[in-house]
Amino acid sequence: MENNWLDQVTEKLTRQTARSTSRRGFLGGLGTLLIGAGAFTLLPVYRNSAFASTGIAEEGNPNSCDYWRHCAIDGFLCGCCGGTASSCPPGTVKSDITWIGTCRNPTDGKDYVISYNDCCGKSNCGRCICQRDQGDTPIYRPQSSNDLNWCTGSQANVPYHCSLSVVIGVKER
Amino acid sequence: MIRAVALGLLLSSSCSWATEPAQVDYMLNCQGCHLPDGSGFPARQVPDLRNRMGSFLSVPGGREYLVQVPGTAQTALPDSDLARLLNWMLGSFSAAQIPADFQPYTAAEVGTLRQYPLANPSVIQAHLLEQIVQREQQQHSGAFADE
Repeated sequence: MENNWLDQVTEKLTRQTARSTSRRGFLGGLGTLLIGAGAFTLLPVYRNSAFASTGIAEEGNPNSCDYWRHCAIDGFLCGCCGGTASSCPPGTVKSDITWIGTCRNPTDGKDYVISYNDCCGKSNCGRCICQRDQGDTPIYRPQSSNDLNWCTGSQANVPYHCSLSVVIGVKER
Repeated sequence: MIRAVALGLLLSSSCSWATEPAQVDYMLNCQGCHLPDGSGFPARQVPDLRNRMGSFLSVPGGREYLVQVPGTAQTALPDSDLARLLNWMLGSFSAAQIPADFQPYTAAEVGTLRQYPLANPSVIQAHLLEQIVQREQQQHSGAFADE
């Protein structure tokens, strides 16, 4: 009987643990963690071009010229050329120097800031040509002219392949 | 408590958000060439604004130059928005170089200055940059003399 201290300590600890915790409590905590982790990644943080694929309520086919983000585009849609509306096809590089405008998303009625980067380094893609030109300015206002070959401002230089429509911001009303 | 925070996160993530108005103006009027972080493309004559723009405020004529340079003066923005944009750019790209006695640009000041375009901006820019470099060298040598 004098050697049962280990039993007593174990019993005490086990009962204490059982009193202060519960299986439901553990499940609740785990659920909070899972939902919290999911929600955290949805927080409205600026994520550069990665943003294009998240969070905007929208309709339409990005490879169709009447897709809302293409409202001021002039060129071949990269989605038809091996890339997407926000990423260049393999073998081309994105022109960092670019022109930027806004398009209204008909689904939520907001004006989004769109960057029309060109993808450069290969010759014309030739598929899905799209010319919509909303807000396009004459070439003597070059900041917002889509007639320029923006590939001249890329590391790959002049050859133009296709154009992107990347969402980079939302305009306040 | 944790659940309340998690709920808050869930709700806030579904709420709408908007880009700061000054930043939208930057995106639509400057970012195409100066890039999101202000780094520009110096190899193609688009200057790097980072840790440099604010230095112009410390040399004579520099404050005026930032408004009169064609990219600023000719921007299709009203004076009040242009003043807000310049102040935002200074704070975002070159806060450490802003002098302690800096007074933010106002619509009236910007409106007056942009009516007088620079005939030869690149010559003026080179002259101002020379003064900025001289000033920085003097400050460095002054700092060494103090030690």
